[in-house]
Amino acid sequence: MTAPPAPPFDRSAPPGVHALVLAALAIGTLLMALQLWILTVGLDLYLAGRGRGSWLLALVSGLIFLGGVLGVRLVGRVLPIPRG
Amino acid sequence: MSPSRWRTEFPYHWDADDLVTRRDLLQLSVLASGALFLGSLVLAVLGRLDRRRRGTRRRIVRAAEVPEGERFYFSYPGADDQAMLLHLPGGRFVAYSQKCTHLACAVYYQPERKRLFCPCHEGVFDPETGEPTAGPPQRRLPRIVLAREGEWLVAVEERP
Repeated sequence: MTAPPAPPFDRSAPPGVHALVLAALAIGTLLMALQLWILTVGLDLYLAGRGRGSWLLALVSGLIFLGGVLGVRLVGRVLPIPRG
Repeated sequence: MSPSRWRTEFPYHWDADDLVTRRDLLQLSVLASGALFLGSLVLAVLGRLDRRRRGTRRRIVRAAEVPEGERFYFSYPGADDQAMLLHLPGGRFVAYSQKCTHLACAVYYQPERKRLFCPCHEGVFDPETGEPTAGPPQRRLPRIVLAREGEWLVAVEERP
């Protein structure tokens, strides 16, 4: 007599996890739009010969990037992927 | 359209497609964010090291040949780079590139209306500063630094 086959592992996330990841994606997309706008402003300043002040723009863009890295790490830690 | 035809035009099976999870997308977004930050950083460094000066010292015209309120069109820094020298009311001389900062059409001086005008898209610049005052241009005209050598007006360099 053979053992019955194990039920397939349920990889679906617990309730609420999808929503949190989607929220992180939505916020990240909005912040990336802001970064894109910052890049165009920086390019405009550079072409106008006024690029000396654009380090502040790079700083804001860098903070957004840093926030994104920390956010992804946080999502990975708080909401681990279910494994079989 | 028969199923066989669309399959030849789109030969991908659902099972062979790669699954991109929300988390993968989130990580890709962070990578894109890093690329955008890198672009801003490069621009900031370039802006800090900006040494964009064009042209060499060259005589343009005798000052007496351009009466007050008049203009003189010339080429600077290259033979194909059109520029204009303005004798503003009050006696001051200024010079700008004639290339509009919107889409590079030629800009003309209209002394009767006290403005620099680009006829392509009706861009307007201030003749005193070269700053845009109306229309689509967002950046000022490149300035040509002037000096005097006796009776001659001399172009020193062009700055953005």
